[in-house]
Amino acid sequence: MPGSPGGSFSTRPDAGGRRLRRVLLAVFAVAVLLVLIAPLSTTDQADSLGLPVLVDKSQIRILTTIAMFVVMATAWNLVGGLTGYGAFGNVAFFGLGAYACAVLVDPHKLHLPMLAGIALAPIVPIAFAVLVGLPLLRLRSHYFSIATLGTAVAVGEVVKNVEYLGGANGLFPPIVRRGDLLFLYLMVAVAAIAVGSVYLVLRSRFGYGLIAIRENEDAAAVLGVNTTLYKVAAFALAAGLTGLAGAVFAVWNSFINQELGFSLDFNIQMILMAVVGGAGTLFGPVLGAILLELLLQALAGQGTVAVYAQIGLGLLLAVTVIFVPRGLVDFFGGSSRLSLGYLRRTLRETSV
Amino acid sequence: MALLSLVHVDKRFGGVNALTDVGFQVEQDEILGLIGPNGAGKTTLLNCISGVFPLDGGSIHFAGQRISGLPPHRIARLGIGRTFQVVKPFLSMTVRENAAVGALFGASNLQPRLAFQAAEEVLELVGMAAKSGHAVGSLTIPDRKRLEVARALATKPRLLLLDEVMAGLNAVEVEEALDMVRTVHRSGVTIVLIEHVMKVVVGLCQRVVVLNFGQPLAAGTPEEVLRDERVIEAYLGEKYAARVRRAGG
Repeated sequence: MPGSPGGSFSTRPDAGGRRLRRVLLAVFAVAVLLVLIAPLSTTDQADSLGLPVLVDKSQIRILTTIAMFVVMATAWNLVGGLTGYGAFGNVAFFGLGAYACAVLVDPHKLHLPMLAGIALAPIVPIAFAVLVGLPLLRLRSHYFSIATLGTAVAVGEVVKNVEYLGGANGLFPPIVRRGDLLFLYLMVAVAAIAVGSVYLVLRSRFGYGLIAIRENEDAAAVLGVNTTLYKVAAFALAAGLTGLAGAVFAVWNSFINQELGFSLDFNIQMILMAVVGGAGTLFGPVLGAILLELLLQALAGQGTVAVYAQIGLGLLLAVTVIFVPRGLVDFFGGSSRLSLGYLRRTLRETSV
Repeated sequence: MALLSLVHVDKRFGGVNALTDVGFQVEQDEILGLIGPNGAGKTTLLNCISGVFPLDGGSIHFAGQRISGLPPHRIARLGIGRTFQVVKPFLSMTVRENAAVGALFGASNLQPRLAFQAAEEVLELVGMAAKSGHAVGSLTIPDRKRLEVARALATKPRLLLLDEVMAGLNAVEVEEALDMVRTVHRSGVTIVLIEHVMKVVVGLCQRVVVLNFGQPLAAGTPEEVLRDERVIEAYLGEKYAARVRRAGG
């Protein structure tokens, strides 16, 4: 590769690694700090203690949403990033988890305690992932993407037309009073489980097998990787994690319907976050989820600005895929200085 | 008993008979050459042995066990490794990681820490130890072919199927590759290799099987086979064979 100093891209100089660590640490420090000070400074408690309101309810809601997207982007990364299968319907897992939880905790249906409902809900999306994964994961590239998108839309439509699931009205899990902080912590815990899972996967035989499948599925198979089992397992793990986020969302929001559970916005946002942050890396999807959700929140709810936010997101994806195809994590931590040179180089290396 | 035996193997693609009634055996510890003109079905045969293609007839047995019908990963697990004619490296990984994937799976089936150790040993064996930290993208073609062998070898196969590992190499590189194959063979691995470079076939193989239009044409020592008129005809056409016959006779 002419013009790329230092040779191979996989041996990163220390400076790049340190810069990446600094950026990530800063982002996490802010997130952790906000979560930690939250109990001291919600409107209610701050008032009663006479403290200034540092984090109000809407900000707690934003933090919870960020954690939710950290889960979804991280789970998507297992299939889209590590295994190289561009799943485009993971929101189905979210919706199924949410609906499953709503049914489990509903006083007129199964009436389980909330935490039991959340813990059991992922069984439904996991079973669904195994069932549809076996045929769908035989497809490759865009055929797989289209098939997963179609499946997600279909499941949403079916759910909407089932009387037991409330039809178009949806379901209303019991409201948990003063649950803001509880749900923030629950969602952060689920995010920690998701990131921890990917961390463990990356160090295991399973993780190497998934990356081998992404790089060359035929070679992986003759080396002894049970490609079908591995792909379905990755798909099911992603489904379980995404479903867990959906389950927490259902009780947090105390309302779930087809538009919320099978939202195509969520579907695209989680992919965008993973890709912008850095698909195939551990922290890329986390970084992407935090930055993009903050950006969305900053732009949302301001009338016509919301429309521009959508356009901006589309542009962001296009620019990222073209100039920073390995994601922001690579951009900040890559072997080169932050410069136009980096953008030019990756453009040359990754274009056909 | 033979390590590998093929019995009446048939493989069709639509109306094309890629392999018809192919049967031969590979003995423990030998190097068997598989030769034949382009399109004779050599690579198809390797794909059938390694489980990439299902058979349409016949059966394949390895170490006394029927392997035809098993998926590729099970066959790899039993101890058959292979390389691809067009190398298929894991591009985002380093040389060491590529070899380690082999050691993590196949008959080797090691835990990650041990797999990386095993990877270093295999890279040493094929002469790639100095490049173990390199990105695969920076490797030359001969090195990529070496890596392909190293990765297959890391699975700890009893039988290694090599698909044209010498193709596209210059004379010096072929000599190096010959040394590599001999080293691998000495380490106790039975080898079946597809090759067009006759120098390699003669220099390495104890026995050769010739395929033509998906059927076995001849078998024997390299010297016998290369003198066989049917083989010369298959490679060079009837006219040339006739000329050789006249000149020889």
